[in-house]
Amino acid sequence: MKFITIDKKDWAKGIEKSRKTYQLFGPVKDKNGFFIKSLGKDMLPDMDYHDSVMSVKSVLFPQTENILTTTLDEAQEDHHIMKRAVTDYSPRAVLGIRPYDAKAIELVKLNFDTDDYKDPYWCDAYEATTFVGLGLNKPGPFDFSSSTGSGPFNEEGLDVLLADLDDKYLAKVLTDKGEAFIKACGFDLIADDKESQALFDILRKEAEKNIVSKISTDKLKEKTILEIHEAPFWDDIAFSCINCGTCTFVCPTCWCFDIQDETKRKASTRIRNWDTCMSPLFTKHATGHNPRDTKTQRVRQRFMHKLKYFFDKYDQGIMCVGCGRCVKSCPVNIDIREVCNMMNSYEKQE
Amino acid sequence: MDTYINKIRELSLKLLKKKEVVKVIGFTKGTLPMATSPIAISLEQDVEKLIFNSTCGLNLANYIRNHKGKIAVIAKGCDSRNIITHIVENQIPREQLHIIGVPCKGMIDKTKVASLFDDDIIEFSEDNDTLLLKSSSKEERLNKQDYLRENCKLCMHKNPVIYDDLVGDLVDEQTLDTPYPDVEQIENMDADTKWQHFDKLTKNCIRCYACRNACPICYCPTCFVDESGPQWVGKGQDKTDVNTFHFLRAFHCAGRCTDCGACVEACPMDINVRDFTRKLNKDSFELFEWEAGLDLTKRPPLDAYSPNDPNDFIK
Amino acid sequence: MGNLLEHMGIERDRVHFSWISSAEATKFVDVVKEISEKVRALGPNKKLVKDYN
Repeated sequence: MKFITIDKKDWAKGIEKSRKTYQLFGPVKDKNGFFIKSLGKDMLPDMDYHDSVMSVKSVLFPQTENILTTTLDEAQEDHHIMKRAVTDYSPRAVLGIRPYDAKAIELVKLNFDTDDYKDPYWCDAYEATTFVGLGLNKPGPFDFSSSTGSGPFNEEGLDVLLADLDDKYLAKVLTDKGEAFIKACGFDLIADDKESQALFDILRKEAEKNIVSKISTDKLKEKTILEIHEAPFWDDIAFSCINCGTCTFVCPTCWCFDIQDETKRKASTRIRNWDTCMSPLFTKHATGHNPRDTKTQRVRQRFMHKLKYFFDKYDQGIMCVGCGRCVKSCPVNIDIREVCNMMNSYEKQE
Repeated sequence: MDTYINKIRELSLKLLKKKEVVKVIGFTKGTLPMATSPIAISLEQDVEKLIFNSTCGLNLANYIRNHKGKIAVIAKGCDSRNIITHIVENQIPREQLHIIGVPCKGMIDKTKVASLFDDDIIEFSEDNDTLLLKSSSKEERLNKQDYLRENCKLCMHKNPVIYDDLVGDLVDEQTLDTPYPDVEQIENMDADTKWQHFDKLTKNCIRCYACRNACPICYCPTCFVDESGPQWVGKGQDKTDVNTFHFLRAFHCAGRCTDCGACVEACPMDINVRDFTRKLNKDSFELFEWEAGLDLTKRPPLDAYSPNDPNDFIK
Repeated sequence: MGNLLEHMGIERDRVHFSWISSAEATKFVDVVKEISEKVRALGPNKKLVKDYN
């Protein structure tokens, strides 16, 4: 383990230097908040941000992504043969992401990178990306990441974790990828291991003290799927839901997608778009039948997947990192913290 | 607002007790400051959950379809206009509804309020025209009138248009010499500037369709963007597809939109989609002297033919 | 619809509405001519056109 001290005066220069090797992404302020965006020339990540409206997932998994292309021109030898779309997988680095977002990427990885199936688009992007996290000194009032197996200084999924110490950053280099990035920036002021780790521990504890929002997940595992599925509260939870896709789109762990072919004249592209289980179309069969036809079924599906099915299938905790985005963005304030606690504490009445 | 809340609870309790309605649709307190959530109350003891304040910006007319039995609904001016639209469009019979009217004093622009803070707001309360807000770093006392939503500032129908009960005295309505200043501003731009304006407007749209789903008049069983056989619009993030959605959704609302602002309220990206719909409201007003949801006996102008319809656009 | 398109920045002269009977061949020709001229004057439309590449 290696710790590096970065004077904030050297930060911009180092980041500029890394551009020789990396395409950079980072928090940028837009009209309605911060977004993790590609940092064009002369753009620096705004490291004073608190949280971003959208998560970091789009860096690996864009909302719309060309995956295959072909030509319908029969004069061409390879007509109608789908070929992988050309995508730039040269090294990228995402700067200043929050630890809960990095944890989310590890959860998404369980789905996109398995022994049986590897999603080439996601895996290649993941391979190409270095994740530089920024510890959250003062988590917000709706951050419940410490009760989801993440937390304000969680290292999982990160290559480097930065701690903001006012005039400088202390960088904890966690992987070879992280080391390569720090090197590319030219940051080389090595800090004492023991002292630095102690400092990280203090910061983490201080930050965790700030977390006022918590959920309980301890009993989710022992309950049967049917027990929770048939619980009486789903209709009430779903009543206010308008079935928009906001919660799933802002969620760092929602990974569902839809495949579409778009053709213009002789050029055809296969595209994948984020999909949302909140939409009736998500499950509508070609026959017209829809097994998840009602709002309640769809709302239940989202929470059951995140908090029960995923938990049961992977045994890696729930599929929620506690970022609080869905709670804040939901137009009708459906709160996953409340739903999770209801599910966790539900006892079937005989 | 407290007198409103008490009256809402009192009336709801009475209706449920006498079994005049099977449920009451209103707002309840959310889990975040400045958040309220629609709720259906069917048990007498639950009426305490009902609240009303300046953050009840969604439109409850969106929640009155497909119920069994008679229901009561809390209705601001705009909600009542959309209830009328629902009745006119045969979405619910008048007899199935008990309308608890709320003379509206305007809803607040939550985004504008939140933008005063760098961190999250942890407390919100209001006292008549004063809004009190607190985050972990500061407190603000604001004058509500300065933080009204744009549609509320321009509202000329604050009072419910139809109701069975009222929770307070009717409020004064304003008359405006220029009811559509925002539309005129866009109309005065040249074609390219207009285009850029809308391009920029929808730049962050994630196509979650919250605007459509929060909209009481967007109740089509299958929206044109969700139609898959044939598919009308591309489903990705292509700008043309995104703008086609917004353009056509707005057009489907022509002559039916009450400018309740639920679309903007629901948008997680704070897109003022009213820039699309308001143009059609203005046209309906100028071409047909029509404002949606004011009259139970008239059909929306694009829904009916009249020999007097303006037709000078046909050559 | 024409008004809303114009509001979004699609030039008014690109959208035409006409009522022509199948017996009005001359009117059809005249209208098409007029439309073509107006659209030609505006040049190719780049707005609300999907770029597939």
